[in-house]
Amino acid sequence: MIRKYVDVICLNDKGGNIRPLFLIWDEEKRVPIKKVKEICPRASLKVGGSGLRYTCVFEPNRIRHLYYDRGKWYVEMNDHVL
Amino acid sequence: MKRTILHCDLNCFFASAEMLYHPEYRNVPMAVSGDRKERHGIILAKNVPAKRRGVRTAETINEALRKCPELILCEPDYETYEYLSMKVRELYYEYTDRIEPFGIDECWLDISESIPYFGSWQSIVFSLLKRVREEIGLTLSIGISFNKVYAKLASDIAKEDDFFKIDSADDISGLPVKGLLGVGEKNDRILKQHGILTIGDAAKQDAAFLHSILGKFGISLYLYANGLDDSPVARFDEPCDPARSISSTSTCARDIRDRDDMKIVLIRLSENVGHRLKEQGLYFDTVHLILRDTDLNVQTMQTKLAENSDLAKEICDRAWELFENDHGLSFPLRSVGVAVSGLSSHKTGSQVSLFSQDERYSLKQKNKETAIEEIRRRFGRDAVFSLRVLEDPELSKIENKNKSYQGR
Repeated sequence: MIRKYVDVICLNDKGGNIRPLFLIWDEEKRVPIKKVKEICPRASLKVGGSGLRYTCVFEPNRIRHLYYDRGKWYVEMNDHVL
Repeated sequence: MKRTILHCDLNCFFASAEMLYHPEYRNVPMAVSGDRKERHGIILAKNVPAKRRGVRTAETINEALRKCPELILCEPDYETYEYLSMKVRELYYEYTDRIEPFGIDECWLDISESIPYFGSWQSIVFSLLKRVREEIGLTLSIGISFNKVYAKLASDIAKEDDFFKIDSADDISGLPVKGLLGVGEKNDRILKQHGILTIGDAAKQDAAFLHSILGKFGISLYLYANGLDDSPVARFDEPCDPARSISSTSTCARDIRDRDDMKIVLIRLSENVGHRLKEQGLYFDTVHLILRDTDLNVQTMQTKLAENSDLAKEICDRAWELFENDHGLSFPLRSVGVAVSGLSSHKTGSQVSLFSQDERYSLKQKNKETAIEEIRRRFGRDAVFSLRVLEDPELSKIENKNKSYQGR
């Protein structure tokens, strides 16, 4: 597994919360995030890192963790996918 | 009421932080070390595989590599360590507001008044261990006792990601006295000479006797050994103790070979200390010079001023005077340190005539240094410096602030 940093389009709401709306995959593909199921502080022991873990629901009902660590977003990814 | 104090110690903090961000280091011998090229070449922290191979904290990189040639060395990433330390501390604040940091990776927590809200001390301890492991990705050793000294001792005994509790002084009477806070090599040697080997031995001694052999610390040791330490855990909103000294030490990129080299290093170190004094609005009345030769012999000297000052030039001149006196060490020198103490936020001084020669000189120097500080504040520390340090930029390369993180 590796840590893959990604661009994310977010909504910063009036309450100061950050909600990810789209994940930009491979610099061009805009993947919509249907829903954020959970936000919790969590370390990623698989790829390393410590921050906020967003449990996101993508189309079609696929759940993935998106991590926010010191201003950067990343996902856990199998290295053979690259 | 008997207090419940936790001492939370992040295990092999620097090494764990590196392994958190680089999981590939988890199962191989790895250590965080000072910069080899710049000769801050000691092991600051190591992981468990490196420990198994005999690598020790504070030994030189060369020694460590001799024991374990495949040892992976990482340069310290203080920004990450401070970030993680702050996150852990924020988590502690969810349990109590009585938190007293002891270095970057250790904290005392007084949970006496929090227990009713969480049910028991056990639920707090288990919750802390779990949350630090899962949310931050680090592990803790937690010591629990009724005072700070015993809590610290208990955390030293506790295993990684576990806790240990000391209920009374009797529990630890058989442990070596060196385990107590403040008993270093020197004090341990003195105590051994008097047949005091265990905490129980120290507890049986008379306070006056311990004072006679160890000085002021003897009284503290008497209290510690008998479980009588009642120092409170500071609240987070209480002001910290003011600094008692400010220092700047440099292990230069190369040895200091002669008086010219020495002057350059002293100017840079004094400027550093002077800058920090002015940042904090403090004056000093004592200057210390610490020299270390290539055989690691250390010599320290100090001199007291007639009136206090905040001038870098004053620090440099006094340190130079100390150096000019017979210091017993010969060139080449490996490192030099300059420190000031007797700090005060007020200028004190003897009555001098208005515009005497000294006073005029001092005023002129003060104006000059104030102008330099203003330039540095606006354009950065290296925007202005003494021309002399340009003679050898390698020698004058010194960290701005001394951070003592060894052994994390």
